[in-house]
Amino acid sequence: MEAEIKDRPAFAHVVVTLGPGESITAEADAMATMAAELELETTLNGGFFSALGKRLFGREPMFINSFTNNTMQEKQVMFSQGIPGDIMSIELNGNSFCLQPGAYLCSTPGVELGLKWAGVKSWISREGLCKLEVSGHGTVWYGAYGGMVEKEVDGEYIVDTSHLVGYDPSLSFNVQLAGGFFSSLFGGEGLVTRLEGRGMAVIQTRSLSGLAGWLNPRLE
Amino acid sequence: MNVEIQHGPGSATATVRLDGGETCVAEGGAMIAMSSDLSVETTTRQREKGGLLSAAKRLLGGESMFLNHFTAGPSGGDLWLSTDLPGDMMSLELGNETLMVQAGSWVACEDGVDLDVSWQGMKSLFGGEGFFWLRLTGPGRVIVNSFGAFYPIEVSGEYVVDTGHIVAFQETMDYSVTKAAGGWMSSILGGEGLVCRFHGPGKVWAQSHCPPTFGRTLGPMLKPRD
Repeated sequence: MEAEIKDRPAFAHVVVTLGPGESITAEADAMATMAAELELETTLNGGFFSALGKRLFGREPMFINSFTNNTMQEKQVMFSQGIPGDIMSIELNGNSFCLQPGAYLCSTPGVELGLKWAGVKSWISREGLCKLEVSGHGTVWYGAYGGMVEKEVDGEYIVDTSHLVGYDPSLSFNVQLAGGFFSSLFGGEGLVTRLEGRGMAVIQTRSLSGLAGWLNPRLE
Repeated sequence: MNVEIQHGPGSATATVRLDGGETCVAEGGAMIAMSSDLSVETTTRQREKGGLLSAAKRLLGGESMFLNHFTAGPSGGDLWLSTDLPGDMMSLELGNETLMVQAGSWVACEDGVDLDVSWQGMKSLFGGEGFFWLRLTGPGRVIVNSFGAFYPIEVSGEYVVDTGHIVAFQETMDYSVTKAAGGWMSSILGGEGLVCRFHGPGKVWAQSHCPPTFGRTLGPMLKPRD
């Protein structure tokens, strides 16, 4: 299997070339174009309640699609996200990674998608009630609105609310005011997320709620 | 008519250089800047063609009901065209052929190109959230835009494209709107729904991102309209 992330960072999309017998899993509606000979199978994203939970809390679709190449030639499929932005991939070797709701795009078979409770703190920091924990062996592609920056956290780090894309499960997070009470209220930063521990965090450079917040007062 | 696309693939804009007396037809709202001696004529139809019915068809097509005809003065002139959504733009030279362009992706064309809204019947309605197609017949130059990057596909045999991702395709190709997967459950639940299956040979221009999907993602975050 070959996969290439093209047209980064503004309009990233993943072009996957599947060899004979190979398959790839993707969230519902991620497929933009594909060779006609590929077979598509839709399954529940986990058990029924797990899938339902992912839909309600994880903002992930309830169903996932599996694209399989049952021919003897290489076939291509292209995945993209609904929003403009960057896509990155992570290799899992038995470890796991937490993804924010909506970030997951596609993965190789062998990667499991699990829904985890992220805590009330997460909800307050506008990161959602639940997070998607991907684990197993393989590659996961995830994306966000805007560009993405990787940051190795050692100790503590602050991330603006709704700008977190993914992080090592070893990191814990807390919500706090950006500055003092006055600065938080008027400085426009409000609440921020404080990541603690050692691990990698992925931050998105734009947020959709930021765009919505800019648009809303201008709507008729 | 000379077309130069700048600042692709994210914020593309097209600079059209017209010779003296040449005319460029563009969708309403596309012009962002132009030479002062360009004359603009706004019509609800292409000059000498169509009528109110044609204009109504264009309105249904998602294109502005108004067409702007920009005509250069005797020494020629410049016209800058742009679009609403971020993405790329492309100019195609049509021979004596017809290009089907998704309403919303068409930006402008040379005056001699024939522009018509094509009613594809129920296929189009089911094909994807009410898309209509514009039929552009050359010869002449056509400018289209994409939401995201262009993804040209040379089809030999068959190829499947999610309908919201189609920018344009050659009319000579057969296409059918079908279920993405084998079963109906897969098609509906899998979110892919109905897709367009193209039978080549021919060329399809796809876009990496899909405006309706972006709208569906951003929409719920916006204030409801009264």
